[in-house]
Amino acid sequence: MELQNKKIELPDFLAEREQVLTTWPTGKDVKFADGVKYQESLPEHKRFAAVLKKADQEGKTLSQPRAGVALVDEHIALLQGLQTACDLLPSTIDAYTRLNRYDEAAKGIAKSREAGTSLLNGFPAVNHGLAECRRVVEAVDKPVQVRHGTPDARLLAEITLAGGFSAYEGGGISYNIPYAKKVSLERSIRDWQYCDRLVGLYEEHGIRINREPFGPLSGTLVPPFMSHAVAIIEGLLALEQGVRSITVGYGQVGNIVQDIAAIRSLRALADEYFRAAGFDDFELTTVFHQWMGGFPENEAMAFSVISWGGAIAGMSGATKVIVKTPHEARGIPTMEANRQGLNATRQILNMVQDQVFPASDALAFEVELIKREVRAVMSKVFELGEGDIAVGTVRAFEAGVLDVPFAPAACNAGKLLPVRDNHGAVRVFEAGQVPLPEDVLTLHRDLIAERARAEGREPSFQMVVDDIYAISKSTLIGRPAK
Amino acid sequence: MQETIVIGVIGSDCHAVGNKILENVFARAGFNVINLGVMVSQDEYIDAAIETNARAILVSSIYGHGEIDCIGMRDRCTERGLDGIPLFVGGNLVIGKREFKDVEVIFKGMGFDRVFGPDVDLQHVVDCLHQDIAVYNREHLAVEAAA
Repeated sequence: MELQNKKIELPDFLAEREQVLTTWPTGKDVKFADGVKYQESLPEHKRFAAVLKKADQEGKTLSQPRAGVALVDEHIALLQGLQTACDLLPSTIDAYTRLNRYDEAAKGIAKSREAGTSLLNGFPAVNHGLAECRRVVEAVDKPVQVRHGTPDARLLAEITLAGGFSAYEGGGISYNIPYAKKVSLERSIRDWQYCDRLVGLYEEHGIRINREPFGPLSGTLVPPFMSHAVAIIEGLLALEQGVRSITVGYGQVGNIVQDIAAIRSLRALADEYFRAAGFDDFELTTVFHQWMGGFPENEAMAFSVISWGGAIAGMSGATKVIVKTPHEARGIPTMEANRQGLNATRQILNMVQDQVFPASDALAFEVELIKREVRAVMSKVFELGEGDIAVGTVRAFEAGVLDVPFAPAACNAGKLLPVRDNHGAVRVFEAGQVPLPEDVLTLHRDLIAERARAEGREPSFQMVVDDIYAISKSTLIGRPAK
Repeated sequence: MQETIVIGVIGSDCHAVGNKILENVFARAGFNVINLGVMVSQDEYIDAAIETNARAILVSSIYGHGEIDCIGMRDRCTERGLDGIPLFVGGNLVIGKREFKDVEVIFKGMGFDRVFGPDVDLQHVVDCLHQDIAVYNREHLAVEAAA
């Protein structure tokens, strides 16, 4: 397999498609022309890209939960229960389907029927198949996105897009590095080129499907520049295959200035890199994920984390916000808890709607810092790929130039170690092989040293662990006990 | 002496953060930690435990499928000759917010010796490991000597 960032030729795509559709029996029901016709039948207000575009023009921040259960009727009831509290709907896919273990998903479905409650952590769309996906889409009145974590999401894309879902999360990096252990990047990037090519094919037939690289990655103290680089690369890969509606994402770190700077710089950088690659006919939007790390068990405290994320999402100008629930510390939430998270978020979004976060030297400094960091990493990725971003990405992960903290994938170096500074911004404690400019590294070191002095201890792995647990224990920074 | 323990995240679960922290904590507590990482099958834990003569297996699960993934783990250990090996499980083990004591009953019913929630103090887990391994060594070695 010769990976390159080049639009897949239609005959090659169609030949591969024939094989993809045989990987589980439900694949045989998928006909492309029928999928296009079905998508055409959806009204504007159920088309994800159109709703995002409108929000972007109006300067609004839309809210979206995560939600998915094993059985179709229960899933419909869940989405119907949520849709009055949110702007955009998800269907979160279960973990077996994400690994293409459809036989295990089938067992999960059977056991859930027996138990009378969902024993799967999401909606097994492939097992349920095309007609059942359409039943979900028809039962709700908001656009629905597929949210998952699937390294090989080709069959899932075929079934859900023909089934009327109008947005598809993921990418060859962001759905491999944080979600898989032994899948090669060549493989996952190639399989996601297929998904993007499929979306591109819909686009050629007048159907705009929104694509969203998964921003937060491991969700654990990821420095903004690293997730930005991945989002931009996945955007470039998607554009090449014909995708035209792209939502780049970022996971909240909790420091207000860094978070607002992150969304501002993400949008500017994505626009800059997409145009530099010769594209100008894309719709670019942003998504802000409320805190993706550990949550407090106490629900009142959890609401505080949720609302803080909602406030920053609104003031940063993100097009949508992915909402957490007060059950986060304990796993999959009930519908009621999910609605509560959405209501808390909507309240604060409304309250910050007309407020603009004031320009300041501190904000401008963070924006500039992130831009310099991203450019340093991106230029090395292009260099390693001799101009080809797909090849460059594979080599960059091999070399540790791209490196995601706390990710499970074997192809990720795991040498980059982040820690918070004395104000809670995420900084680089150990850079590994990530090629940041010398003065930037010095700045990170100095900021961490300032915290270390304030705490009277040396920076160490323990400090990182303290930061990982801090929010669940009611602080942002993991200070030692007094 | 330094005891060997096997840790990992079971099933199709890819949550790596807690796993990396557990490795660090148990290593600093003096254990020889065999960390299988994420997405570990029941047999992979058992293979590793047999290979390294481990004194305990610690299963983690965060994503809610633990209730399915852990079924039969104790029997599988026994079948493969790991009679009575201390078997711990911890994390967010089920779907939905259920009372921890009910979750504990389910997993103890499956043959796990210790069941921990996501907010357990890891020092407590270390203490339990020392206790249970001491008992296992005493009984297990006694059985071996008698055989």
